[in-house]
Amino acid sequence: MNKKLLHKTQRAYLIFSILLFVIVAPLFYVLSNKFYIDEVDETLMLQKSDFIQHSISKLKIEDIPIWNRFNNTIEILDPYKLKKDTLFYSTSFNKTEQENDRYRELNTPITIEEKPFVFSAKVNLIESEDFMLSIVLLFLSLIALLILGMYLITKKLSQRLWHPFYQTLEQIEDFEIDRHSKLHFTNSNIEEFNRLNKSINDLIDRNLAIYNNQREFVENAAHELQTPIAVFKAKVDTLIQRLDITAGQSELLSSLNNAISRLSRVNKNLLLLAKIDTDQYNETETFSIQQVIEKQLDFFVEQAEQKNITIKTSFQKDIMVNANYGLTELLISNLLLNAIKHNVTNGIITITISEHQLEITNTGTKLDLKVEDLFNRFSKSSTSTQGNGLGLAIVKKIADHNTWTISYSFLKNEHSFTVTF
Amino acid sequence: MNILLIEDEADLAKSIQDYLTGNDFVCGWAKNFSSAMDKISIYDYDCVLLDLMLPDGNGFELLKQLKKLNKTDGVIIISAKENLETRLEGFNLGADDYLVKPFHLSELLVRIQALIRRKKFDGNNIITFNEIQINLLSKVVKVNDATIDITKKEIDLLLFLIGNDNRVLSKEAIAEHLSGDMADMLDNHDFVYAHIKNLKKKLKNRQSKNYIKTVYGLGYKWQDE
Repeated sequence: MNKKLLHKTQRAYLIFSILLFVIVAPLFYVLSNKFYIDEVDETLMLQKSDFIQHSISKLKIEDIPIWNRFNNTIEILDPYKLKKDTLFYSTSFNKTEQENDRYRELNTPITIEEKPFVFSAKVNLIESEDFMLSIVLLFLSLIALLILGMYLITKKLSQRLWHPFYQTLEQIEDFEIDRHSKLHFTNSNIEEFNRLNKSINDLIDRNLAIYNNQREFVENAAHELQTPIAVFKAKVDTLIQRLDITAGQSELLSSLNNAISRLSRVNKNLLLLAKIDTDQYNETETFSIQQVIEKQLDFFVEQAEQKNITIKTSFQKDIMVNANYGLTELLISNLLLNAIKHNVTNGIITITISEHQLEITNTGTKLDLKVEDLFNRFSKSSTSTQGNGLGLAIVKKIADHNTWTISYSFLKNEHSFTVTF
Repeated sequence: MNILLIEDEADLAKSIQDYLTGNDFVCGWAKNFSSAMDKISIYDYDCVLLDLMLPDGNGFELLKQLKKLNKTDGVIIISAKENLETRLEGFNLGADDYLVKPFHLSELLVRIQALIRRKKFDGNNIITFNEIQINLLSKVVKVNDATIDITKKEIDLLLFLIGNDNRVLSKEAIAEHLSGDMADMLDNHDFVYAHIKNLKKKLKNRQSKNYIKTVYGLGYKWQDE
């Protein structure tokens, strides 16, 4: 799955923070523990030297029990095998808190009145669970604060930093080469984005130039062909008036007539396709789709009679559109002619208008044409000899021009075209 | 009837001239702007056929000149240019009709006839061919003084045939005439046969002569033997 740019950076930050926590927290614990114990040891040694300096000379053996009674942390113990200062951990039961307390203890051999004794001093240690817990808590809150801070800062910062990028992105997404839309990028103070915008602008300008060239070429070519076709047509018209035409010649003339008629149609349709893009169809008005259909229906009923096709209409809810009237009429008539052309004898055509949708369905056989090629110029099924392969291309072009969508489906031997306005 | 053809394409001009001359028109030809200017300032024409793109000038300028000279010549623009703006500009400058190239000569002929009818016989809108009488305004067709039940399309077809009498009309020319704006999309011209058949039957029912002849392989012809 694609993630947003921001998520990626956020994730990296999060992983880094957790890693930091995992590594640093134990380290911190060990180190602070060590410093703490060192400190405690130092205190104990200090107590010891203090005792040896000030108290030991005044202490008598018979005073030892009394000393021990009044001192909690410093005791004089009976001698045991001890050569030098020894530091170790000990535990003793704490009655008030009902738990074992940990101590750091120092035992040192001393001599009182020439007799050996052991000096013992101890310090109650902070409970290590408590200690760990506070460290973890401290770290967790630190990291939480860190992440929150980073999240907010990067979010704010990214939004500001990437703002020009998203603007550019939006514009490119809306861009359509045949709609004459020019992109207007705002200049940002970030060099990379300016470079990006400039490159996109250059790219689009180049493509636009190529596209316009192509379109103009088709338009000019088709336009230049009009006059020779006109001459051709006129000559054939003149030729067929000759009285001395033999049957063989008339057959030839008939094919010529047919071909020139087809050539002229293809040419006019090419011209039309090229011209839809230009501004001359930009004049719009508001009108009803139902009326457009009703106005043309007689013509199509007449055309459908050849194949004994029935045209049914179901106008549920009229659609009002704001578009170029001529083009819309062209779209609908092309669809209807298509429905007649690819129909079967005694077939049915259903025209349905419902909310925002015009659906034209006709009976017919399955196409040997890929659906994605359906709206391409000059793509026709191999079985159909009629048609110039431009009808649906024109339909698509008009739909695109008005940002309507057109879809095709084939179900139970019925072809269906749906225009969503 | 006097017609002036302004067209720089000699081949096309020749065919148009031939076709129109065969229909009792006198058709003059100007192949460029300057000779057209000379002709329209000297003569009066019933109808001027005007190509817009001339080697030495724009057809619209000629239209303006015609209006300036207070000429009442009817004007049909014949142009390869097909867009709304040119069309509208043409009509605004006083053109009466606009025919886009390529066209059938038969189509041009009926357009000229219609224009001249509009110009010359205001109020009189009845066309008569022997026993057939067509009232253009009320769309009523009478054969031997009896009204026949006829559709608009069939009247259109009848006018097209009578207008081009003695001429062979190809199926394509008839189809393009009858389908009007749809002509460029239509690739099946079989419906012409149905219309011809119906019209024939309706005329025959009222004891009209059979004027519609089938010219094998080519099309149809309106002919009075």
